[in-house]
Amino acid sequence: MASGRNGAKVGIYPLSLNTAVVNHHLDQALNSPLFRNAERQSRFLRFVVDAALQSPPATIKEFDIAVAVYDRRTDYDPRTDPIVRVEAARLRARLREYYEVTPPENMRIDIPKGRYVPQFIPVEAKAVQGAPDLSILVPPIRSLSPDPDDQNFCDGLTEEVVHKLAQDQRLRVITQSAAAWLEHREGPKPRYLLEASLRRAGAEIRLTLHLMELTGGSTQFSNIYQGTTSDIFATQERLADEIRGDLSTALRIGAGGERIH
Amino acid sequence: MDSNTIRHLQESVALLPVGDLATVDEFYRRLFELAPETRPMFKIEMDQQAKKFSDMLAWVIAHLERPHELCQGLRELGARHSGYGVKVDQYAPVGSALNWMFQHTLGDRFTPEMEEAWLEFYAFATFEMERGSREAVPAGPSATLNSG
Repeated sequence: MASGRNGAKVGIYPLSLNTAVVNHHLDQALNSPLFRNAERQSRFLRFVVDAALQSPPATIKEFDIAVAVYDRRTDYDPRTDPIVRVEAARLRARLREYYEVTPPENMRIDIPKGRYVPQFIPVEAKAVQGAPDLSILVPPIRSLSPDPDDQNFCDGLTEEVVHKLAQDQRLRVITQSAAAWLEHREGPKPRYLLEASLRRAGAEIRLTLHLMELTGGSTQFSNIYQGTTSDIFATQERLADEIRGDLSTALRIGAGGERIH
Repeated sequence: MDSNTIRHLQESVALLPVGDLATVDEFYRRLFELAPETRPMFKIEMDQQAKKFSDMLAWVIAHLERPHELCQGLRELGARHSGYGVKVDQYAPVGSALNWMFQHTLGDRFTPEMEEAWLEFYAFATFEMERGSREAVPAGPSATLNSG
């Protein structure tokens, strides 16, 4: 499959879902608040999905999108106007956020980096039916000291923890930014809240962490982690690894993803 | 954004001529070519606007490794832009013009990796600005696009 920086040539993915399912999923996405106010990106998404659903699937070039969606003329040159690449990056981010706040029930659309042909990825029923709800809201870790460097350390640690937790596909990790959307969305809220704060004395740091069930507010797990600020990145990585391991144990996730009772 | 992306962003900006607002003029010239409808939104003198843009670029680079402050600043910027009447779809030509500014100024020194880094950053930045704009209260008719 060939792809170029300017999208001069893209490959075709085989369809593994029927057209009706894809169209229904697309309509749901485009009717969501995230897409309703983004008219061009909605058109972009519909254009590439429609092209991929054709039989045989159409090849989608950067030029085609520029003309059909962004009203560029036929002398459009992607080297001097990278609007499609700009918008593709933004569309990928919008899709990521959409699926973060609206977990897909049967499929999801993915537009791989460097290409414009969407992939339609079936979501296994096992992942949503009968599986335990392992959704965790992760707000920024708070620094209890007034030193802005400590808050920067906490920001980096938050990023690292989210990154480590998100690697476990059994967990649904929801960041603070996504939480704002959840407030306005009907449907299930995250089950757990991961709350942590940091104190520092000299080079010694102490991180207090609580995992709480949002409904009822009961604490599922609590721990204090220690470290130093001598090597910030190494400390952040080690703490994030420990937290991930502890949460896996606390949530009693079995090897197959089942929650052990 | 990973450390490689941040490095490419920093390196590309470091290659821009220091204090040369002509570079920023290129950005606005290209923006108004791509999206002439945005021109009336800028009501202050363009040299002042260029200085504000330059300052914003420097602020972004200085805060790449401070995500909390960066997100907060971008959301505030988005809230202000919402007050100026900027719509979500109008972020696209700005990103295109930004890319053009680097390409035009740096030529081959603006590598594909740098372009990828700016595309990724711009997607992130405009998303944060959108978040800010969603929470913003619409400004009155006297608002002008005088920052960022």
